[in-house]
Amino acid sequence: MNQGLLAEKGVFDILTPRQALDSLWKRGLSGLDLLRQHSSLIDEFIKEKFYAVVGEPPDGLCMVALGGYGRKELFPYSDIDLLLLYDKRRSSFIEKVTEAVFYPLWDAGLDVGHGVRTIEACIEDIKNDFFFMVSLIDARPICGDRALFTKLSKKFSDYFGSGSRKKFAKDMMLHRAERHKRYGNHTYLLEPNIKESRGGLRDLHAIIWTGKILFGLRNMEEFCNAGLFAKGEFDQIVKARDELFVVRNRLHHASGRKNDRLYFEYQEEIAKALRFYDTKDMLGVERFMRNVHRNLQTISVASDLFFEHVQDVIRPSPVAVSSRRFCEGIEEIKGRLIISDREIASTKPYIMLKAFAIAAREGIPVHYRSRRLIASVCTDLNPKWRYSKKCARYFTEILAHSTDSTALEQFMGSGLLCAYIPEFEHLRALVIHDVYHVNTVDKHLVESVVQLNRLRKRYAALFQDIADDRVLLIATFLHDIGKGRGGRHAQKGAEIVRDIGKRLGLDGHETECLSFLVANHLYLIDNATRRDLEDESLILKFARHIQSPDRLTMLYLITIADSMATGPNVWNEWKEALLLEVYHKTAHLLEQHELVDPDRIAAVKWMKQKVSELLGDRARGVLPVLPEDYLLSFTPEAICLHMDLKNDLVRSRVICLPEDRGCFWSVLLMTRDRTGLLSKICGTFALYNLNILQAQIFTLKDGTVVDVLDVRSFTQDSFSEINWKGLCRDLKMALQDRLGISHRLAAKFSRLRPVEHKVSIRPKTKVVIDNKQSDFFTIIEVYSQDSPCLLYNITKTLADFNINIHKAKIGSSADQVVDVFYVLDSLGQRVEDDELLKELGKALEYAATSCIF
Amino acid sequence: MKKIEAIIKPFKLDDVKDALYETGIKGMTVSEVKGHGRQKGHKEIYRGAEYVVDFIPKIKIEIIIDAEMVEQVVETIRNAANTGKIGDGKIFVLPVDDVIRVRTGEHGKDAI
Repeated sequence: MNQGLLAEKGVFDILTPRQALDSLWKRGLSGLDLLRQHSSLIDEFIKEKFYAVVGEPPDGLCMVALGGYGRKELFPYSDIDLLLLYDKRRSSFIEKVTEAVFYPLWDAGLDVGHGVRTIEACIEDIKNDFFFMVSLIDARPICGDRALFTKLSKKFSDYFGSGSRKKFAKDMMLHRAERHKRYGNHTYLLEPNIKESRGGLRDLHAIIWTGKILFGLRNMEEFCNAGLFAKGEFDQIVKARDELFVVRNRLHHASGRKNDRLYFEYQEEIAKALRFYDTKDMLGVERFMRNVHRNLQTISVASDLFFEHVQDVIRPSPVAVSSRRFCEGIEEIKGRLIISDREIASTKPYIMLKAFAIAAREGIPVHYRSRRLIASVCTDLNPKWRYSKKCARYFTEILAHSTDSTALEQFMGSGLLCAYIPEFEHLRALVIHDVYHVNTVDKHLVESVVQLNRLRKRYAALFQDIADDRVLLIATFLHDIGKGRGGRHAQKGAEIVRDIGKRLGLDGHETECLSFLVANHLYLIDNATRRDLEDESLILKFARHIQSPDRLTMLYLITIADSMATGPNVWNEWKEALLLEVYHKTAHLLEQHELVDPDRIAAVKWMKQKVSELLGDRARGVLPVLPEDYLLSFTPEAICLHMDLKNDLVRSRVICLPEDRGCFWSVLLMTRDRTGLLSKICGTFALYNLNILQAQIFTLKDGTVVDVLDVRSFTQDSFSEINWKGLCRDLKMALQDRLGISHRLAAKFSRLRPVEHKVSIRPKTKVVIDNKQSDFFTIIEVYSQDSPCLLYNITKTLADFNINIHKAKIGSSADQVVDVFYVLDSLGQRVEDDELLKELGKALEYAATSCIF
Repeated sequence: MKKIEAIIKPFKLDDVKDALYETGIKGMTVSEVKGHGRQKGHKEIYRGAEYVVDFIPKIKIEIIIDAEMVEQVVETIRNAANTGKIGDGKIFVLPVDDVIRVRTGEHGKDAI
């Protein structure tokens, strides 16, 4: 003990142990040093108080430190566990001693665990109290009667005859499993508990305690000598322990209380205090947490290996030893996979991958000795093995069979994965400082693959459509490989996976697909939550970006697996519904090949270019309102004419420009959209003896209607005989709702009918209403015999139902007419009500057959 | 004091949020909700499989404001959330008795 330090005021007087601790902080102590000094300070304090009342010689009374304090690993706010060991003869002293020693500690605000027991009581208690027993393993006398303590130690070790040694090991493993369950069963939690989580300090204690009791090993060095740890492993473990000590000290200091969970709020502060500064590519806190996780993993791997060994030692060998040989070098013994030959592993590296593939498929873990063997072999292999076809095959098999994470995690933990795909090393224990993820990146990727495989049942049909799921599996496993490298991780990842894909033997097309999937793994979910999914042109954009149904399906599955693996609250029905909508709508469009045809896309681009050249400055305002169909239906010059005319619409309600095209006449009609517009037009045209042969009907996004109607007179009038002016005037009247079209038509046709309309064999009328073809419109098809006012009747019926026509294809061949209407109800939705659909169908059938004129 | 509850289309959240911040609103509660009004659910059919979407995903925004601001805030939300199509959502205005800031114990307007 440093006398100078002790002489400092406040330590001897105290006495506030807290002040003493502060002085240690101020002197810049950290890690193990701080723990030792802190323990010594408390020791000194207790000694002074103890001797003040007991006096020499302290026969029959001994103050014993237990647990962490016993190990001289006293963290700033840890419990100080004390045992006052006494001999019955000295019972009368107990009260004095406890008052003198415990009270000031309590007064100083320290958490003191205390017990007052005789040796017999101790031995009695350890039978029932596991934690008390464990704390006794680290017991250390502070002051008083050492002989008494030696007696306790002797009795304690006598207690562990061979039977209770095994029981101890079993209990320890049970408690370890329970603790892991409670505090997170892996080391990848973003807010790990430094003491209790998997890989935490408690795991290390468990190793040491079990080593002590079961094998009689007194310290870590003896573990090495006993061959339980290799020298390299031992150094790593000690380094991990010491670094976690530093972190836990800081954590207690930062939280100002006994807190072992590394909450987000403390991470940055501690990272800074430990000099992890931000760099271009990574935040300081991210590098700090990666360090923490790597240390946790070191201890976790060591403790897994150790306890597997313990299990081998204490488990009675089964009556019949089951064993199975999978291939040369790989067998199953007692439920574990064993690589039997080091030579084979190093000359045929695929054997190691195959072992994990079998492990994943059969659900058998790889034996810890084999994992050790793999760890030592895989670092000095000829790099050529990364290009081996066999290796690639078994690698994808590992992924494909991983319906739980054991095999993949062992694959990763053994170091084989990072040896095989060195790009992965960067992700090990990588932490991305955000609020969504609960796992480090490597664990997240493992989980993603597991989740993907679990989707196989539910989405069997989708998996069936994917010709080769190799690319899907690799993309899922590597989708975040660009993380922690600065910039946008999806883009970076897309570059990185190209090399990996080539090594894994993917051809050019597959590598391209892999890269695309990685680059776009957030595309669907981003668009699902942030875009208007009722906008057809937007969905069309998605479809064109994704290009093939295959890629869409893979993206969809990756999105679900990724979300499910991210954290418990990331994937929910809400997101699922949105994602489903994007998926379905995009899939539908992708199936209508002409929409995603590259020629069409090029044509639209070309048209936009030309139109904008012609329009100059106005193009900017005009281009966005032009639908693709419209752009592709006219020449750039015609479009410019329409746009000029559009300005006139402000003054005149209707623009009607007829043009003689020889065998038919083409009428350009422009007006504002309204319900029933088409019926007004058709009716008025019929009044002027005009039969509509074909119609191109467009509604621009600003509500302007541009129709081009190819018409012919059914009374064989010539172009000049038609009263075009009157037609235009009547159209205006009709659109102002000042023209009774029906009665005028009735009057007109009652005059014409006898001559004009001989009833021949009528083709059957058929009405088809379809909601499947398009996600955006209800499509109505009417097949019927032609008649001058057929179109009027149909469109008027639709108007009666308050249904809007957005696109229409009017066509007639011979006397059979096929009219197709893309419609929405007055609320802008598809017509989906079954009863309404039935009624509408009947009404349209009647309208088409009852052309009285 | 009033509570404004707005149900809007998910993709409109950013627009509405930004517009509200511009009016000086400092805090809000946002949740993912599902439901339907006149815009009923729909059926999706793809490769033979049928999925029925009964309830449509929406976003709910809740804000507590001074009664004087109601009109302005309602108008702001309406403008920002409007697409003109069905399913744009609803805005509810509810009376609020009191507001208490947990940290300080402040009441009423001061706690908003």
